[in-house]
Amino acid sequence: MTTESFKQLPEELKLATSAHVKYIQSLDTRKDEYDYWLTEHLRLNGLYWGLTALHLLGHPDALPRSETIDFVLSCQHENGGFGAAPGHDAHMLSTVSAVQILATVDAFDELESRGKGNGKVQVGNYIASLQNRQTGTFAGDEWGEEDTRFLYGAFNALSLLGLLHLVDVDKAVEHIAACANFDGGYGVSPGAESHSGQIFTCVAALTIAGRQDLIDKERLGRWLSERQVDAGGLNGRPEKKEDVCYSWWVLSSLEMIGKTHWIDREKLIAFILSSQDTEKGGISDRPGDMVDVWHTVFGVAGLSLLDYPGLEPVDEVYCMPKSTTARILGR
Amino acid sequence: MAESGASHGIARTSRVRSEEQRQKDLERIQKYRTLEDQVRQRAADKQFDSETFQLTSKLLRLNPEYYTAWNVRRRCLISGLFSKLLPGSSCSKESSSTSPRDTTTACSEESSSASSIPTPGRPDCQTTGKSGTTADDDLELIKTELHFTIPLLLESPKCYWIWSYRLWVLNQAIERLERPVARRIWEEELGLAEKMLSKDHRNFHAWGYRRHVVAQLESDALGGGSMVEAEFAYTERMFRRDLSNFSAWHNRSRLIPRLLDERGATDAQRKAFLDKELNMIREALNVGPGDQSLWYYHQFLVLNLVTTAGKPTITPAFTLEERISYLTREIEEIKVLLEDYDEDVQLIYEALVDYTLYFSRLEERKPTEEEREDLVSWVAKLKELDPMRNGRWVDLERDQGLVELLPGH
Repeated sequence: MTTESFKQLPEELKLATSAHVKYIQSLDTRKDEYDYWLTEHLRLNGLYWGLTALHLLGHPDALPRSETIDFVLSCQHENGGFGAAPGHDAHMLSTVSAVQILATVDAFDELESRGKGNGKVQVGNYIASLQNRQTGTFAGDEWGEEDTRFLYGAFNALSLLGLLHLVDVDKAVEHIAACANFDGGYGVSPGAESHSGQIFTCVAALTIAGRQDLIDKERLGRWLSERQVDAGGLNGRPEKKEDVCYSWWVLSSLEMIGKTHWIDREKLIAFILSSQDTEKGGISDRPGDMVDVWHTVFGVAGLSLLDYPGLEPVDEVYCMPKSTTARILGR
Repeated sequence: MAESGASHGIARTSRVRSEEQRQKDLERIQKYRTLEDQVRQRAADKQFDSETFQLTSKLLRLNPEYYTAWNVRRRCLISGLFSKLLPGSSCSKESSSTSPRDTTTACSEESSSASSIPTPGRPDCQTTGKSGTTADDDLELIKTELHFTIPLLLESPKCYWIWSYRLWVLNQAIERLERPVARRIWEEELGLAEKMLSKDHRNFHAWGYRRHVVAQLESDALGGGSMVEAEFAYTERMFRRDLSNFSAWHNRSRLIPRLLDERGATDAQRKAFLDKELNMIREALNVGPGDQSLWYYHQFLVLNLVTTAGKPTITPAFTLEERISYLTREIEEIKVLLEDYDEDVQLIYEALVDYTLYFSRLEERKPTEEEREDLVSWVAKLKELDPMRNGRWVDLERDQGLVELLPGH
């Protein structure tokens, strides 16, 4: 689809950029809504999702930078880890979001000067402490839940911080290899069913480790391409419903193994766009459902990978603006 | 990466609230925040006692995603509500010589409280963690905790935090109770996994939970033996209920190598096993040739025949001739399936293309002229039936050198 043909699309099939920007800006003002408080355990993640969407939408300054940095740093614990919000325990998921946010707003220097302990190294040590040195995988926090999501998060954040050497990368890679299934996909842990979200985490972690050679790209590419259903959207597993968030998990994985052209880009674009709330902003899992910032960022990131015009390019491994990973990692 | 908190399948509604609704929300918020503040303040003051514990119950019923509240709850349990500190924990010097499963430790000797209501604990490590409770109380407490999470799981079956908290409690059972007692507790978890899977037969949390529970029951820690036969039978019960349940087929694929090893299956028995599986999946495909789940399992079986990297897991003793004869039989059967169905089923063509290419690869040759003609016509069908994946079919044509046969090239 060319830029020209997008202009001829009906309104509901154009990206409602300004509505989405307003929607994301409004998220932190909804303090009179019960849900705002019920989702505080996702606050740092939510900030990362919103900020990333804004950058991809070409509005990087739509959230105030210094308040963003202050908030992130206010979530840090003495051990270097970050909680979801002040008063919440440190966890891998919020720590990774903190690092991604600080990377995106180019504020690692603030982490060095104002963060706990040794700045970046303090964060790196916290993440490294969560590696299971026997199996190579990572826990989410001190209570020990293990999942390939946490392994990817560790690789993502540590590589951004330039501290990947703090962990046993080879052991972690072995663990990912043990999560592979006959269908080419990967699960939460060895023995678990292939799942698009976990495939993203495993393929991206292997890419960061420089070990794509372990991926059965042909078989995985086929499985991933078979996630596209007639409605144009992608599902997460066989015989499941399509969902906008898989526009990211499946598509980015296809992109990493060079097989994005194995699905129908235009149909997927149309599916994502038809899941927008064009009036009030935001994107939902499927057309007509409630929007949220999670589906908004993954919908927008998916559109960016699909070269939808007017969007900033997204890094398929980090789910961050390419300009950020280029600046930090030279990718 | 934290999926919970996102809206799935909830219809978009007008976001306009009446003033009355807004006031109601504000009241709810105030109640919630007061409770939240109490828990956080008490945690900050390291008051990990039964009152804090009760407050986390209230908070978690309102919001089971509140991971910090689950952590506070854990701290309450290990800082005093449970009968003793464990060896290995940072401040358990006095009990470090005691087995974790020993119920008559120094800590419990002093116990006086038989109340099932947890007594306030002493978070101060200097007190050796004695809190006046016994191992029997631990058992009650563990049961209460498991009971507490059930309604929350039923309401939020995809909430990671509840599942992981439950596993943590179960691990406490291994650490703190005598082995047969702990084992009985773990055994009951199979019932929960089954219940959750009957409500949503694809819930990957519940499948993972089931695998974990089984692995623990099989482990030395719980003194168990292999459950592979029972689990294998369970996968069949599950897919008999719904052939599309790929989660069940997947689990089956992972159990088979172990199953055959543990049966000490002979080459002949392995061959018979493969025959049975192939017959079964072929029958299923006769009913549902458009079902991806079935074809994936068929692929799993066929990969056993064609894999060149490593040994086939089902029939390692198969000669090349045997592999070829099995593969050609599958191809012939699928051709029959193609004829039987009036309408064009894309997945049938896909399998034919795949397996035909496997065949030539097994024989270390290029496709014959006849095969090439078939391949060209099948790929043309795939392009027609499945334009969404056109790029994949084009790559296939290019990689297999099928392009020059096409008219116009």
